[in-house]
Amino acid sequence: MSTNLIDSYVADIGRRLPRKTRADIEAEIRSILQDMLDECSQKTSKPVDDEMTFEVLKAYGDPEKVAATYLGDRYLIGPSLYPIFWLVLRIVLVVTGVLAAIGLGIALSQTVTNPQGAIEAILLAVGKFATSTMTILGNIVLIFAILEWSLFRSGGKVEVKGLPVKEEWDPHSLTKVSAPNQVKMAETIVETVGCFAAIVIFNFYPQIIGFTPSLNSVFVNGNWSTVAFIPLLSDAFFKYVPFLTFVWVATILLNIVLLRMGHWTLIARINSIGLKGISVLIAAAMLAGPSLIATTSPALVSALGDPNAAGFLMTMLTQGIRLALWVGIIGGCIDIIRVIYRTVTDSQ
Amino acid sequence: MTNESFENLILELRRGVIVLAVLSQLDKEQYGYSLINSLKEHGLEIDQGTLYPLLRRLESQGLLQSNWRIEADRPRRYYLLSNEGRQLLPRLKEEWKTIVSIMEKML
Repeated sequence: MSTNLIDSYVADIGRRLPRKTRADIEAEIRSILQDMLDECSQKTSKPVDDEMTFEVLKAYGDPEKVAATYLGDRYLIGPSLYPIFWLVLRIVLVVTGVLAAIGLGIALSQTVTNPQGAIEAILLAVGKFATSTMTILGNIVLIFAILEWSLFRSGGKVEVKGLPVKEEWDPHSLTKVSAPNQVKMAETIVETVGCFAAIVIFNFYPQIIGFTPSLNSVFVNGNWSTVAFIPLLSDAFFKYVPFLTFVWVATILLNIVLLRMGHWTLIARINSIGLKGISVLIAAAMLAGPSLIATTSPALVSALGDPNAAGFLMTMLTQGIRLALWVGIIGGCIDIIRVIYRTVTDSQ
Repeated sequence: MTNESFENLILELRRGVIVLAVLSQLDKEQYGYSLINSLKEHGLEIDQGTLYPLLRRLESQGLLQSNWRIEADRPRRYYLLSNEGRQLLPRLKEEWKTIVSIMEKML
């Protein structure tokens, strides 16, 4: 019975420990408990029994606390990343709030003559805002938890072979404006979060990219009426998603390496130029290829019921996407030139 | 000040000393429980939950080495100063003497 008690106790500690060290720590604790029982037995001149085992286990302590002494401090999001996590969270929540307010404004403008519809629209908007906020919060926490794990799993010290160790902190850095080869942490993390969000949305939730002329469900004339959801992007666009995903994944990996190093290296700059080059090529192919818009003018007219509004919206969509692609291409080229310039000036 | 605060301060004070105390006792092989008794004989009582994680940490830092041995039909883990630990110990002792000397002047 006393052996079973020790087995249960050790197993209770073991299940709270990392698999890697579990067996070793379990064996050591078992050995210590046996020593304690022996000593107790000698002192009292009694054989080991359940009562004695209970006393020894009580003296050794709560399994949860014993396991904790072997684990040290562990964080989901530690003190190094927390300020940036908080910054990203505030930015994203403000943007989400503004978008939700705009959406609600549009919905309310279409239910001016129907007060009951307006109330339903407000309730629906609040519900959607709450749901999307929870999803966004979950994703941001997940991204930062992954970053925390990959950057600081060795207790705040970088100990990965092939990666340079983070430089020792220098108080002079407080007076530096911004070294050209220093990685801008906030910017890099925001870009990483953006890439992660893009991967998730375009690969797993492409159905949410689109719009409705009103809310999906509205209360009209005392009945729920469903309004058609109009997908925005065509199949032609989704053919580029694997290539875009490659760029996003590679950007996340590069950013993780940069965050660990704290500064740019020649190899990192070459990789960055390569990724920006691929992005520009993809944007150029999109610009030259078939339309990226899924909807057509007749579909919009049918959905909106107003040919003028439908025509205006169609023009805005088509030109908007072309403009965005041109901005992406020009911005990408400027970035490439900037990175090449930095690489050349650093090497001199 | 409450007793609890006092106890916490004492724990903080002892925490730094324990590493030196443990290293000083491991120039010859000892298993954990015998080490606890050895320290107790010198008047230093260490909680089990403090000692064993500390031994593992010192081993991972390369200051100790350990091996499992079967003794009296039971596996026991023996700890011993590593070469690095042996080189470090005299320096730690010197540092300790300096601290004691400074504190004696201050108190």
